[in-house]
Amino acid sequence: MNRRITLFLCVLCAMFHLSAQTVGEDVARPIVRSTMYGVGSINLYDTYLSPVEYSGTQVRVLRESIRMTRWMEGHVSRQTLFQGYLAAAENVAGTSSELAGMVNWNYALHYNWYLADKRLCLSAGPMMQAHGGFTYNTRNGNNPAQARLYANLAASGMAQYHLPWKCCPLTFRYQVDLPFLGVMFSPQYGQSYYEIFSLGHSDGTVVFTSFHRQPTLRHWFTADLQFRRFTLRLGYMADMQQARVNALRSHDYSHTFMIGLVHNLASF
Amino acid sequence: MRIPAFLTVVILLLTTSVSCIREESFENTPQGNFEALWQMMDERYCFFEYKHQEYGLDWDEVYSRYASLITSDMPSKGLFEVLGNMLAELRDGHVNLYSNYDVARYWKWYEDYPANFNDSIIRNYLGTDYKIAGGCKYTILDDNIAYVRYASFASGIGNGNLSDMLNELAFCNGLILDVRDNGGGMLTNAQRLAARFTNEEVATSYMCHKTGKGHSDFSSPEAVKITPSDGIRWQKPVALLTNRSSYSATNDFVNAMRQFPLVTVIGDRTGGGSGMPFSSELPNGWAVRFSACPTYGPDMEPLEFGISPDIRVDMTSEDMARGLDTIIEVARKRLGGR
Repeated sequence: MNRRITLFLCVLCAMFHLSAQTVGEDVARPIVRSTMYGVGSINLYDTYLSPVEYSGTQVRVLRESIRMTRWMEGHVSRQTLFQGYLAAAENVAGTSSELAGMVNWNYALHYNWYLADKRLCLSAGPMMQAHGGFTYNTRNGNNPAQARLYANLAASGMAQYHLPWKCCPLTFRYQVDLPFLGVMFSPQYGQSYYEIFSLGHSDGTVVFTSFHRQPTLRHWFTADLQFRRFTLRLGYMADMQQARVNALRSHDYSHTFMIGLVHNLASF
Repeated sequence: MRIPAFLTVVILLLTTSVSCIREESFENTPQGNFEALWQMMDERYCFFEYKHQEYGLDWDEVYSRYASLITSDMPSKGLFEVLGNMLAELRDGHVNLYSNYDVARYWKWYEDYPANFNDSIIRNYLGTDYKIAGGCKYTILDDNIAYVRYASFASGIGNGNLSDMLNELAFCNGLILDVRDNGGGMLTNAQRLAARFTNEEVATSYMCHKTGKGHSDFSSPEAVKITPSDGIRWQKPVALLTNRSSYSATNDFVNAMRQFPLVTVIGDRTGGGSGMPFSSELPNGWAVRFSACPTYGPDMEPLEFGISPDIRVDMTSEDMARGLDTIIEVARKRLGGR
């Protein structure tokens, strides 16, 4: 297990190293930044806390930056994505509630293929993800909360289509991110946080994950409406985080409708 | 550049193969709630093997017996009573079922025994000018014996509280620490207090947890150590008073204290409760509590059904009629007081 975790960390470091390389050419490179705010539904489930699913509402903020690099003849773009949400949910009987929060940082490198006179752009590449959050059950005693800490390597794919209408140019985008390798913190099946943190009995709480243990998917769709001085972005995100580790099962399904503004910049 | 066809295929395969992670769910019917509760206990309760040895508990047999009592049209209160009775088969004070109108419980571990505690008589010893440090009330009795009453480990106590209290009592010849009727609370409070009574690190107990759904799926027990406090530590004889209502975290505290050389446990057997309880719930929203992480003594002996005192004492009706607490009086004599 330790060798696998070391290998995983080496891959992460290699991605960082690659991102730190630069090529000195004075060519303008577009940078697209956006901040979006959203609201939507969430379904929380964690057998460490309860065998029952909780449904509720979440608010989310998403900050994204895509920057074209000079790597591979300018075909590689760098995407950083930061999102966070807060959620409140209730069980079906309405007798108990859960609060949840999560921040999620992503770093991706995409190779871009341009088609249809550059109106269509298909992108694919590796993505690194780090997640930190919690789910808190307001009624539980010695198992009141579950910490969510995990990092993944993911495959990321994106398709963008640009409609150069004179009145209102439109850009549609669909992106899908699929983790395939990672490490995750999880207590054992019946282990208390008292044992982990007060007594230091933490063996087996960091586990290696792959697609069969963490079949997670995040996909989202955005539409950029360009007006004279600003670009409005409308979006929908389906974030399906789930895991099956240490005989515990959890999921966190959310559907979010978002709105925000896009800033187009250039870098030399 | 030509689009690699495999890219599309891979993305399609991955997106379509993401399956939902869910558990077997039960319907919100009398039968569904019964099945959910029985299975929850079957998979997560931690004392099946021990209780099978102690009194022949057979959880499958319990299922057969109670399943026949469940009908699809039974009222909610009837279901609550049947489920409460089923949980009582576990003979565990940490197992409860909570509805809006009642709490199902098993309290025979103290209800079937003498109380050995009387709050009115305690007032004769504490008086009205006692001092309070965190969750402790304390005073000095007229024979220069310190009396400290810790009624609940749910009430916090800090290291500053403990140092100041022990400093105040430093000139006493001995200390009576009364944890009768202390039904438990935070283990960290109990351990912080215990750390004032040892000069060396002691592995006082062992704790483990379930690693799977089988009745014998447990982690390797790991030592729970009491490390001496850096603050003031008590170096004189201690009488630790217990009764059947000394339960849960208090049971754990008594187990630790009985291993320190200057401590004598006096009174009645403790109530037990050595499984740290977890919470869960049923499809109809009723909350459930059950023992999840068992604690064992220093020789891996079970503590679930209590700890015997070094000196067994019951309160007598004659002493009570005179306003005396027999157990406190025995402790005073033991410590060189009266």
